[in-house]
Amino acid sequence: MPTTPSASSPAAPDSPTAVEPHADDVADRVRYLDEVMAEIDAEVRRRRASGDLPAGLEAELDELFLEFSPVGLQGQARLRETLSLVDSSAYVDIAVPTASNKAVGSYVKRLIRKGLGWYMNFVVAQIVKFAWSVSRMFHVVVDHLEELEAVVETQRSPDLPADVVPAARPGADWWSPAAVDALAGASDRVLVGDCGDGSLVETLVDAGVDAYGVDPSDLVLEPALDRNLDVRAEGVLDHLEVVAGEALGGVVLTGSVQWLRPNERERLLDLVATRLSVGGTLVLHSSTPEGWAASVSPVVRDLAPGRPLHAETWVHLLTGRGFAVGEPARGGADRRLRRVGTGAADADAVNAAIDTVNDLLLGPTEYVVVATRER
Amino acid sequence: MTAVHQFVPALLPRDATGDHTRALRDAFRDAGWDSDIYVEAAHDELRHEATYFERYPERARPGDVLLYQLGTSSPVAEFLLGRHEPLVLDYHNVTPESFYEGWEVHTAAKVALARHQVADLAPRAVLGIADSAFNARELAALGCPETVVVPILVDVDSGSEVDERELARLAGRHGDADVLLFVGRISPNKGHEKLVEALWMYRHLYDPRARLHLVGPAVTPDYAAAVFAYADELGLGDAVHHGQGLTTGQLAAWYRDADVFVCLSRHEGFCIPLLEAMRAGTPIVAFDAGAVGETLADAGILLSTTRPATVAAAVDRVVRDPHLTEHLVAAGRRRLGDFAATTTRQRFVEVLGRVAGDVRVVA
Repeated sequence: MPTTPSASSPAAPDSPTAVEPHADDVADRVRYLDEVMAEIDAEVRRRRASGDLPAGLEAELDELFLEFSPVGLQGQARLRETLSLVDSSAYVDIAVPTASNKAVGSYVKRLIRKGLGWYMNFVVAQIVKFAWSVSRMFHVVVDHLEELEAVVETQRSPDLPADVVPAARPGADWWSPAAVDALAGASDRVLVGDCGDGSLVETLVDAGVDAYGVDPSDLVLEPALDRNLDVRAEGVLDHLEVVAGEALGGVVLTGSVQWLRPNERERLLDLVATRLSVGGTLVLHSSTPEGWAASVSPVVRDLAPGRPLHAETWVHLLTGRGFAVGEPARGGADRRLRRVGTGAADADAVNAAIDTVNDLLLGPTEYVVVATRER
Repeated sequence: MTAVHQFVPALLPRDATGDHTRALRDAFRDAGWDSDIYVEAAHDELRHEATYFERYPERARPGDVLLYQLGTSSPVAEFLLGRHEPLVLDYHNVTPESFYEGWEVHTAAKVALARHQVADLAPRAVLGIADSAFNARELAALGCPETVVVPILVDVDSGSEVDERELARLAGRHGDADVLLFVGRISPNKGHEKLVEALWMYRHLYDPRARLHLVGPAVTPDYAAAVFAYADELGLGDAVHHGQGLTTGQLAAWYRDADVFVCLSRHEGFCIPLLEAMRAGTPIVAFDAGAVGETLADAGILLSTTRPATVAAAVDRVVRDPHLTEHLVAAGRRRLGDFAATTTRQRFVEVLGRVAGDVRVVA
């Protein structure tokens, strides 16, 4: 983290192109300020493109402040650190400082300390005993929790290869325009989870949305970093934990959202529902269960900790958390069988069978759900 | 005789709610009404102007209307829930507890209680007066049967006397470096750490000598300590200057001294400092949170993000573009006219008069 101003000399200000209105007209004034704002945005983009604002710099600033905030705000259950704070404050020192600017003051303080020492000792010994008992109790609880965590860890499903999730390049995919439409005009920052090469982040930024992305894989993010996009190597769950409440104007969930464990899915939904501002938009893209099953190996199908939900299930889950959810849009690979010509033998019966198979097994392989936080 | 009595948790001098309450009492009395102030606590200076709230029942008269200045938790709320007189809420908003979680447990508990009290009082009130549409929406969502927006009573013409000695002292400290100013208590919802980040970025990109002036009491000490430690970590220890306990003239000097007033608060029910900046002729850059956008209107650069690069670019644009500064200052003066005390006072009398059924006023 740089702590001193850059040695690069500040650029000369761009000549303002917006012209101040002379007419005392509200619409003119609003237009003028819109133009100024557009020029400010352009200036930020120019700075990013010139390398004055390295990707991730602002994210580093955000994270640095967390080091000065209370342990509980750092987004992690840092039990041991918190416990050490309890331990350090469980001792009460009866050696009251006696320093004073005046010689007589110091003498008087020493006298009081000496005179009250027997009394303070008696009281403080009981307080310290109580505090240590409480601290000891917490140590027992933490030990127990850590044992439980270790047990839970042994029950984890084996890690699955990255190609479990059908490869999705969000910016180039069929649902990208729907995501941009839904998020255009978002009042706050928009987070793209599992952003991959950043193509959707870039599309959103180009559309004037203040978007950034996270992805757990450094490697996958490299093309996005090369393009100076604001992306961070972080899982979406971990990232949302440290985002302030109601700080986001939009969230895009794709990729790993399809195969989260049930408890992770619940946690993700809770986080999204609190980190999005009221009126904020969630865009959720997923494979259909059928599409996913067709695209992964039987081993992965059997061992995956979670599997994609039907669009209707997401609608149900989101509605219960105070979202207004639109009709899911469906797309992706078209695997439907073609109907036979009407001249073929038993064409009607065969086509009816084909229609049934198409409906049950070979429908759209992906869907996108757009939801708005209402409360 | 029409009687509108006000209840307020604490009556304090040089305090927005305290000044508002006293100005309203005067306005009601000028309208020929009976009007007293009932409090849970009053500052020594104002003790003679207030009565302890539990003494109201012995003075109650048929036809009284009770107006509660609601901005914090207080036993006054419980007391009013038990009264049968028509109750009007004058809602100044309560900061959500989530801002204090982790920083100050007792404040989080206090504001949570206040929010519960708002929720209890809102359906019981006959009318909710809110100083912004943002606050009015909150009241309506909590079940207040009717709401009306009337701004807080601020005397936008007074307080502009600048303490010239203070102004010279400030200028002597920073020379011709750009100065960013924010006025407001140092509290987690006010986004002071974002101001520090914006200063860092501004120095990084535009003016390496720029300074940030923060005025306001450190009401959340742990947060204030974190903000200043953060500034030190970023090498800005000498560039962030904190002022508190200022006189009106000194505060006017801090406004006058600043090149730009920057507000990155995450939650504001109205934001009086915006009006103070307009009065001082200081251009404004502000983050659009809570009621900031509606208070500011077109009298400043309204940002949709607190990202330091955007804030720094906006500040730079304002500082280096005299045409824009002139435009914003003029717009600020115009906007200030919307909050003229005489208009607001009249509006309060009109609204309360309607509740009290005072046909003279309604007519």
